[in-house]
Amino acid sequence: MSQPSANDVIVVGGGVTGAGIARDLSLRGLSVLLLEKGDWGAGTSGASSWMIHGGPRYLEFDWDTTRLSTKDAGHIVTIARNIVYRIVFIIPVLPHDKNNIERMETAMEVYDRFQPLKKSHPHVRLTAEEARQVEPGLTSEMVGAVSMEEWGVDPHRLVFANVQDAVAHGARALNHTRVIDLVKDGGSVIGVRYRSQDGTTTEARARVVVNAAGPWVPEVSRLAGTEVRLRPAKGIHIVYPHRISKFAVSCESIDGRDLLMVSHGGFTLLGTTDDDFYGDLDSMDVLADEVEYLLQAFERVFPAIRSFRPVRTTSGVRPTLFKWRHYEDELSRRYQVFDHATDGVEGFVTIAGGKLSMYRLMAEETSDTVCKKLGHQAPCVTATQPLPGSESDMEPADELGRRCGIPALAVVKLQSRHGSRAEAVLDDSRSGRLVCRCEPLTEAELAYAARSEQVYSLADAFRRVGLAGGPCAGAACVIRAAEVIGRELGWSASQRFDAAREFLSGSWLGRAPVLGHAGWAQEELVQGSMRGLFS
Amino acid sequence: MGRTDSLAKLALAYGVHLTRRRLSPPRSQLQNLLDMYRPDGLGPLTTDEQERHPRLIGCINCGLCALAAGRMGKTRLPDLASAYLRLYARLGDASADVEGDEPDWEAAAAACPVGVPLPEVAAVVRRLAAG
Repeated sequence: MSQPSANDVIVVGGGVTGAGIARDLSLRGLSVLLLEKGDWGAGTSGASSWMIHGGPRYLEFDWDTTRLSTKDAGHIVTIARNIVYRIVFIIPVLPHDKNNIERMETAMEVYDRFQPLKKSHPHVRLTAEEARQVEPGLTSEMVGAVSMEEWGVDPHRLVFANVQDAVAHGARALNHTRVIDLVKDGGSVIGVRYRSQDGTTTEARARVVVNAAGPWVPEVSRLAGTEVRLRPAKGIHIVYPHRISKFAVSCESIDGRDLLMVSHGGFTLLGTTDDDFYGDLDSMDVLADEVEYLLQAFERVFPAIRSFRPVRTTSGVRPTLFKWRHYEDELSRRYQVFDHATDGVEGFVTIAGGKLSMYRLMAEETSDTVCKKLGHQAPCVTATQPLPGSESDMEPADELGRRCGIPALAVVKLQSRHGSRAEAVLDDSRSGRLVCRCEPLTEAELAYAARSEQVYSLADAFRRVGLAGGPCAGAACVIRAAEVIGRELGWSASQRFDAAREFLSGSWLGRAPVLGHAGWAQEELVQGSMRGLFS
Repeated sequence: MGRTDSLAKLALAYGVHLTRRRLSPPRSQLQNLLDMYRPDGLGPLTTDEQERHPRLIGCINCGLCALAAGRMGKTRLPDLASAYLRLYARLGDASADVEGDEPDWEAAAAACPVGVPLPEVAAVVRRLAAG
């Protein structure tokens, strides 16, 4: 074992909250070590609906959550301006919905009071005919509709932008590094023991250890000899590799829950379920029943939904705070910072609950608690300091494309990930070649990700730069991508081959639950084009 | 407490809403919506295109049409459905990519194993890219 390193703070968990805490504390001048057992944002953050939203449904339960959420969403929209985009919902109202059109519009009128906090427009009410004019896929049975605006964001890029900025301000950030134990001295936590991806075990010391492990919070708490109770809730999404509607659409499920079909840049997320989860957090299956539950609900408002071909599913677990009896959907998305000194465990702080839209605020409050414990006085600046890539305006896509010799559409996608830093990513002689054509993704960006963005596998590249996220599901690009990444990371030929096989068999788990007729035909094509990889 | 308070406030807002609806006649807000979100690229597909949409985006990027007929302008044919139509809200920023020569559409369509109507896809992409 190597010598322990000394830090002011160690943050366990590299989801959006952990990354946000690492950034906040680094900007306040503290030395931080951030550890993530998988990849950045690969857990709950990445399995979200990719939205910074205020959550109008919380108006029924807790207006304060809506206010906090919209206010912090406004901060995020400001600091991440080049990687967020507007998402406009059309909410159709059908004759037997739990909310009639007047009640629905009332909710939107109330929500409009919060919308300026996140720089969004107020709602618009449409007749059924008008709603079908703007979104022809909607059912003719609706009685009317209202619009609602939210913000979209790639959570993987949001998490990584926070990691990047933390590192730029002195933090060390290690992904694929699992905390296997906490180091204790009497009743105090004084560090962690972690295992790196090469198998080596290292000890690191810190004055405070922050548990920001999302649904794994109880597991990490147990290592400290304390208890934090959550009520984990599983949520799945169906992913379509295209934008299948102009506007995002909301609908009511058979049990009266609000579901969303969200059109993002080049794909559509349909979700989400919300069920108490008691299984293994590291191994979650998507069930056929869950898929059917979503399709059944959307078929009612968007009858053609089954004629579109899904490409995969996502699943994640929300780290909801524990509460007995309430139905899953009614549970508040509030969060709580625990200073375990009150349980007799010094040097250990946990942040639990919350949601993506409030990550910055959660990070700020956790960092305030840490700074108070350390007697460190420095103000939080994360509400105003831009994230990497959002410091300045972006160059027009066609101009940058012409100068760098790549299609303008590839620049559009590049800028959606790197914002104003896009050109620096293309500072490579291979910039003109597309490795993933559906995305479209250049070799230069993929090589940059392997060199500078802690990409160690094709799955990491999927999260960081959208590799294989399109309709081909990797059939046309994983072998070439393994070559590009392998060249940067020094992989042998067999390691490149193994990387491609590992990616395809891993992504199969998310694909199998939604493959229909065309999906299976495509799968045969993939198998055929990669004969031997699966033997 | 939070729930009771929230429901009470919503009930009050509902009363105010119903009163306002009675006092002021509703007027169409459709144009507001379209104007508000035009800069975001929303609202581009026609009703016909929406109906045909599942077929237009059925491409599995096998590459056979590219082998049969090459490119439209600078763009490889499979990319039209698998990338360009996929990102249609941003096509206005990428119009230069789809300007230029016409490929042999008949050969391209004949090569497609899943029957994507490629000439139709190309027409939609060009229309959207032109704004």
